[in-house]
Amino acid sequence: MGRVVDVTLIILLPIFPPYPATPITQLPTIRLLHTVKLNLHNRLLMDSSPPSSSPSSSTSMDRVNFRTQVLSRHLHHHPQTTDLLLPAPCLNYSPPELSNPPPNFDTKSLRKLLDGTSVEEIDYIFNLMIQSTLFCPRERGGKVFIAPDFNQSMEQQREMTVKRIEYLRDRGVFEGWFDKKGPEGDLWRFALAESVSVYDHSLGIKLGVHFFLWGGAIRFMGTKRHHDKWYKPTETYEVKGCFAMTELGHGSNVRGIETITRYDASTGEFIINTPCESAQKYWIGGAGNHATHTVVFSQLEINGVNEGVHAFIAQIRDENGNICPNVRIADCGHKIGLNGVDNGRIWFDNLRIPRENLLNSVADVSPDGQYLTEIKDPDQRFAAFLAPLTSGRVTIAASSMNTTKIGLAIAIRYSLSRRAFSIKPNEPEVLLLDYPSHQRRLLPLLAKTYALSFASNYLKMIYVNRTPQTIKTVHVVSSALKAVLTWHCMRTLQECREACGGQGIKTENHVGHLKSEYDVQLTFEGDNNVLMQQISKALLAEFLAAKKRNKPIRGLGLEHLNKPAPIIPTQLTSSTLRTTQFQTDIFCLRERDLLQRFVAEVSQLQAQGESKEHIFTVTYQTAEDLGRAFSDRLILQTYLDVEATVPAGSLKSVLGLMRSMYTTIVMEEDASFLRYGYLSTNNAAVVRKEVLNLCSELRPHALSLVSSLGIPDAFLAPIAFNWVEANAWSSI
Amino acid sequence: VLIKESSNVRTIILNRTKQLNALSLEMISRLLEVFHAYEEDPNVKLIIMKGEGRAFCAGGDVAAVVNDINKGSWKLGANFFSKEFTLNYLMATYTKPQVSLLKGIVMGGGAGVSIHGRFRVVTDNTVFAMPETALGLFPDVGASYYLSRLPGFFGEYVGLTGARLDGAEMLACGLATHFVPLEKLSLLEDALCKANSGDPKIINSIINEFSNTNPKLKEKSQYFRLKTIDRCFSRRTVEQIISALVSYKKEKEADKNMDDWISWTIQSLKKASPTSLKISLRSIREGRLQGVGQCLIREYRMVCSVMQGEYSKDFFEGCRALLLDKDKNPKWNPSKLEFVSKDMVDRYFAALDDKDWEDLKLPARSNLPVYAISKL
Repeated sequence: MGRVVDVTLIILLPIFPPYPATPITQLPTIRLLHTVKLNLHNRLLMDSSPPSSSPSSSTSMDRVNFRTQVLSRHLHHHPQTTDLLLPAPCLNYSPPELSNPPPNFDTKSLRKLLDGTSVEEIDYIFNLMIQSTLFCPRERGGKVFIAPDFNQSMEQQREMTVKRIEYLRDRGVFEGWFDKKGPEGDLWRFALAESVSVYDHSLGIKLGVHFFLWGGAIRFMGTKRHHDKWYKPTETYEVKGCFAMTELGHGSNVRGIETITRYDASTGEFIINTPCESAQKYWIGGAGNHATHTVVFSQLEINGVNEGVHAFIAQIRDENGNICPNVRIADCGHKIGLNGVDNGRIWFDNLRIPRENLLNSVADVSPDGQYLTEIKDPDQRFAAFLAPLTSGRVTIAASSMNTTKIGLAIAIRYSLSRRAFSIKPNEPEVLLLDYPSHQRRLLPLLAKTYALSFASNYLKMIYVNRTPQTIKTVHVVSSALKAVLTWHCMRTLQECREACGGQGIKTENHVGHLKSEYDVQLTFEGDNNVLMQQISKALLAEFLAAKKRNKPIRGLGLEHLNKPAPIIPTQLTSSTLRTTQFQTDIFCLRERDLLQRFVAEVSQLQAQGESKEHIFTVTYQTAEDLGRAFSDRLILQTYLDVEATVPAGSLKSVLGLMRSMYTTIVMEEDASFLRYGYLSTNNAAVVRKEVLNLCSELRPHALSLVSSLGIPDAFLAPIAFNWVEANAWSSI
Repeated sequence: VLIKESSNVRTIILNRTKQLNALSLEMISRLLEVFHAYEEDPNVKLIIMKGEGRAFCAGGDVAAVVNDINKGSWKLGANFFSKEFTLNYLMATYTKPQVSLLKGIVMGGGAGVSIHGRFRVVTDNTVFAMPETALGLFPDVGASYYLSRLPGFFGEYVGLTGARLDGAEMLACGLATHFVPLEKLSLLEDALCKANSGDPKIINSIINEFSNTNPKLKEKSQYFRLKTIDRCFSRRTVEQIISALVSYKKEKEADKNMDDWISWTIQSLKKASPTSLKISLRSIREGRLQGVGQCLIREYRMVCSVMQGEYSKDFFEGCRALLLDKDKNPKWNPSKLEFVSKDMVDRYFAALDDKDWEDLKLPARSNLPVYAISKL
């Protein structure tokens, strides 16, 4: 910490000349600087003394005199000094609500655009959490905040997660989990999962594993016999489920897993085996301490033929929590975050399970050991099998947006109450968010968060309204948005952490800590980079299929490819940059051009006789650029759709402003616009300048926009409110 | 309203004893005036609020409001509530400490002019209640702010059933800050005047000198039911709350020691206006996530909808049955919870469809305590 202090002193030096050279005029800051200045003076004195062992007696006397003065000032309050200091406290917290204009649009309506029909469901869960001591309410600076105690040991955090789930269960929160049907049912389940994650990612994941992964596997991969047997005990937590897919040796490549299951017709049982160390099930949430049952993903071998990956139900612990015979379980250990989730590893030693435990929605094995399936193509079978599990990506995308909102709400509220440096002497220091540089750091991220949240809602809607015909769209869109949204989340949290300075380091202020809690989103349910490449593969397939049929391309919003290429004006102006026409044009142009480049690249390699697999490994650069271009265009489109539902007025104009911010910042930050010449260097300069303009235009709305995010105060942090009082001596 | 001046202390006395100090429009206007003036006046450091006679204040004078509405337009009522809520806001964000001496009845609007202040002193004969759901109204005057901040789901219980709390219970749940025995109340008042200080720390220590820090809860206090209250009143809807209470009652039927508290609770919910219950529950749940200003703005929308009577006229029926005809037999319409749809509830929370109507405009404040801000 010594180094940090030194840096502060060096920064302060040119601005505040050492005591006593300055008369005490800067009353507002005098108390803060008092000790610093004395120390500084001390240092300067020491520095002026020769480094030798024989300091001149006068210097030495000076130092003694000075120390005596300092000490006597400490012991006997110097009347003059105290008079000067007391009436002018250094820093007063002034809530941003006092210094900012009231919202010029209806913040409730804006929140409704974000949370849609789920507002009441979400608020209800917030109410339940805020009112229970299990959620660790703490008073800081006159407000109550709730957050897990991250200072607890891993084991304690895990126990608390379970207690919180039991509390919610006892309130009837999960009643009807499997009964609620249709889009409303899905939206209700999403609202529930998202709102608990606002409190703690571990809580969200622990719940998600049990209900969405274990419960989802039973629902979608199983059939009536499984539903009848498992729904009720799952809803009441009599059965605690987990989901054993990932192995030490295989994650994203599910089809490469090595766990193997064979059928014993003589007993009517499957035998699950972990043949080697790389086949141990890894990162299985819930397996470490609590789960009683798991869905096991395994290769199924029937009569010596490998029929591909299938899923089975296996009991791994008895009702008393003892591990079952032929099962071995070990912990994954302490993690950088999510320590409230008990991730474990599982080995199966020829574990026998009844034939009925095969989740048989797409394939079954008859009692005499015949493999039966409607879908002959193993690729299609696998896709149909896993499709419903997309819900995982939907919730990840949505909760990454909530986390981003928390980070931004905290950092922006802090930047509206924290000041640093005066522009002119004797003037009050400047609010952080009044610095254009600080605006540039936070406001584009805020606008982007709105854009991405609308996209997340769109994803939710296409998921809940899915039909067999739209499965491909849901897969592509969920891959794209899961990657883009979680990357945005991590980037925003890092920026918010830095924007809060040292305060961002404290766990209680969330922004820094959330990074480690949420980092895993970039990896689970599909590594982001792998997902981005998958989008491009899918786009390529669509493009080629349309070409082969000699028909216009349809779906995934690609219809614009059927039209002539849009023309970008040679000289951009601020007003052009803000038109939806231009914004749509340039995003479509980029997607179109990159898709053509990708097609050309792939077909050239194909002509050279390269294999498909090899081609995709070497074309990843274009593939990733294209993946981003697709995502950005999709996000803009969903934004425009939301905007179209809002009547003309102040809300619509602030939405327009944020849309322009979103598109402009994408153009400024993504190198592909310059790389491939969609923007000339001149136009790129116009874009960069426009970012500044947009920042200053959004600045007056910053507080209202943050207020509309819908995160209750209790889930924010002390620095978002009265951080002076929260840190006062009297509050210790 | 009487005012006693003693150097820098102003004692405001609600003086309408026949009506148990129920707040009339004149009284509210006067209080607003006085509170505005004292905020600017450097000679005023401390405000003491009390009631003349048996009661502190039995609430807003709703009978008069209903009368006005029946004679003229519901907008006369809107004027009353806009002034009352503005007064509540002023008190909640006041820069100078307010000590309320809560002797006798403190109900509805009476809670509104005291609970928002810094110090709430209760005593042996204090009776607190928010009885609005029985009247076809809902707990207003910022109650969605303070009830929602009581421990667990006690606020839902108090707000929906209209349960009466005594001084010890108020202290236990946090509605009161101090309990001073009845015989010491006037001594406390004298001491505060004598101290002539506006420093909350000094005031606190003076009140402490007269306080009983741990008044005994009566044996059958509902505060001992907190666990059951939490279990039942934390449910998502009014219907679920009632069915949780009913199944709890069944569970405990065999228990000889069961008193009639649970039956009373169920009964009071069944007697209250179904519309009132539903909007009250949602109001408290929303209030929990809002600052006091937003709570009052929302409650103003709600109260205007109630008075406009477009969706339900329960408020007028409740006043008729309980305050005017006193037959205590209101005929609610809609008559059952299941007839009050989500859409109907939603309308109470939306801006009114009336071109002359606008949202409550709260005065700009120089002082915005952290608890008064909330963003939702």
